[in-house]
Amino acid sequence: MLARIERLLLDLSVVAIAGLGLLITASVVLRAGFNSGVPDTVVMVRELMVAAIVLPLAAATTARAHIVVEFVAKRLPVRVQGALIVLGSVVGLLALAPLIWAGWREASHALTSGGFFFGQLNLPKWPGRVIFLVGMAFCWLRLLLLVIGDLRRLSAGEPVPGTSVPGAMPTGESIERAVKPR
Amino acid sequence: MDPATVGLVAFAAVIGLLAIRVPIAFALAAVATLGSFVVFATRTGDFLPARAIRPTTSIVFSNSFDLIHSYDLSMIPLFIALGHVAYRADITTRIYHAARVWLARVPGGVAMASVVGCGGFSAITGSSIACASTMGRICSPEMLRMGYDPRLATASVAAGGTLGSLIPPSVLFIIYGIFTETSIAKLFLAGILPGLLSLAGFLLVILVWVRRDPAAAPAWTGEIPPGARRAAAWAAWPALLLFGIIVGGIYGGVFTATESAAVCLAAAVLIGLVQGKLTARSLLEALRETAIQTSSIFLIAAAAKIFVAFIALTNVAPAIVEAVTAAELSSAVLLVAIAAIYLLLGMFLDPIGIMVLTLPLLIPLVETYGFDLIWFGVVVIKLLEIGLVTPPVGLNVFVIANVVGDRVPIDRIFAGILRFLSVDVLVLVLIVAFPIISLLIPGAA
Repeated sequence: MLARIERLLLDLSVVAIAGLGLLITASVVLRAGFNSGVPDTVVMVRELMVAAIVLPLAAATTARAHIVVEFVAKRLPVRVQGALIVLGSVVGLLALAPLIWAGWREASHALTSGGFFFGQLNLPKWPGRVIFLVGMAFCWLRLLLLVIGDLRRLSAGEPVPGTSVPGAMPTGESIERAVKPR
Repeated sequence: MDPATVGLVAFAAVIGLLAIRVPIAFALAAVATLGSFVVFATRTGDFLPARAIRPTTSIVFSNSFDLIHSYDLSMIPLFIALGHVAYRADITTRIYHAARVWLARVPGGVAMASVVGCGGFSAITGSSIACASTMGRICSPEMLRMGYDPRLATASVAAGGTLGSLIPPSVLFIIYGIFTETSIAKLFLAGILPGLLSLAGFLLVILVWVRRDPAAAPAWTGEIPPGARRAAAWAAWPALLLFGIIVGGIYGGVFTATESAAVCLAAAVLIGLVQGKLTARSLLEALRETAIQTSSIFLIAAAAKIFVAFIALTNVAPAIVEAVTAAELSSAVLLVAIAAIYLLLGMFLDPIGIMVLTLPLLIPLVETYGFDLIWFGVVVIKLLEIGLVTPPVGLNVFVIANVVGDRVPIDRIFAGILRFLSVDVLVLVLIVAFPIISLLIPGAA
């Protein structure tokens, strides 16, 4: 179920990126050709940016695509590496919790106050804040599931995904996975 | 505990967490949040946690949300998308194929074509790792098949891949621009001449290498069909057009950097669709990859923004500035010290991680010394480029090692890299000694 939601969020983010490109290109073409423009382009692009960046976070977490420094960890025994991966996810849970709490406060305030951006269309402020909250919350949920799954693997004596033979240098594959995730 | 001490402890904590494989974004955000909480809670002298909750969450939310909620930074997903789309539309590698045909008869021609191809790839994608990864898959196996010295076949692509950071568009320049609040368009223009200088230096290394040891690059004896040169050069027009839109558009004041990213992406999609190289499915895949890559980069940037705000609370940066100015260090000594720090960190850390860790402390110092931030940006990016190929953790070298597998041991690749490193250091010295190399084009724009 969560995987399906993640895929949906990822595809919504794809739509947002396509929207960014189309909006800005349209505004350039209209400016150059017709001395005109798309109303409130800047506000719409900013709101789309939130969707483009925050919605794929859960999918990025599932792909274990967050950038890490493996130089020291790769030299440790597999079991210790697994424990460090779990620790990294726990730190992530702690780091995201205040963001989610503050995001909740901001989103509910934007919804109840009816705040809007000054401009030609007076677009509401709540969509970006709600999207931020949704993206962060699903990322947190995925991290929690990763921690539980990795702890189970550790207790069963299985290697946690992302660990490698002790002493091995970082592989190009692991670096590419981290820097240029699939 | 006074705020400056909290700041220094926080730095040590981040480095400790990074060393034990905690993701960079999580380490920065967790430490900055906890540190801000401690500073706010101890502001009056007593420990009052209840008073710290609201300002801490406010600082955390506003810094991360404001960074993401940005019009100008939409150029990052757009340039990343451009790279993925151009790759799938078969645009990025055509400069290599053209150079490959034109340089076929030149000794070491394939290695040279690889470096030129890396330059062309960089002019569209803006990522060193992506450049090394893609070009490495094409060029290194071909050179090994032709009997090239394995060191040359791998090191030339690993070094060439680093051009992605200097030649615009560059994701590293964009991130530097965010944290120093300098013009990203000017940074792009400033990277052109140093990037071309590095490219020329790499070609020179190959030329000298092959002159001294002709066996390192066996001559190509095949036939070039009539018209092949012209056809290969013509096929490279989409790459040249995209680069022209980016640089010409910004230089001519027609576009902002953000607009050039959007227009280039639209052009690349159109070219790919018209030429039949891009399908709806491959476009969707390209945008999905863009989404995940963008979110990973922005998560770090947002966490770093929170960390910068926390560092500002601690006053640790002014304390360091005061200490350095009190020591009466000359500009030259300061620059050497900065270079040493970057080269050292470059041996272990990823370039984005290095920037977000160091810039909050270095920029106030650099401003105090009156350095031009555009020029300093070029110096920093060049240093980061060097870090991509220095042992023990030269990311580009590991990417190439992964491509060639067991055929070339990693120490052989590093052995080959040394010659390219010497040119890198020479170019760095030139950039430092003659700021005009970086500032000529942005100054004239």
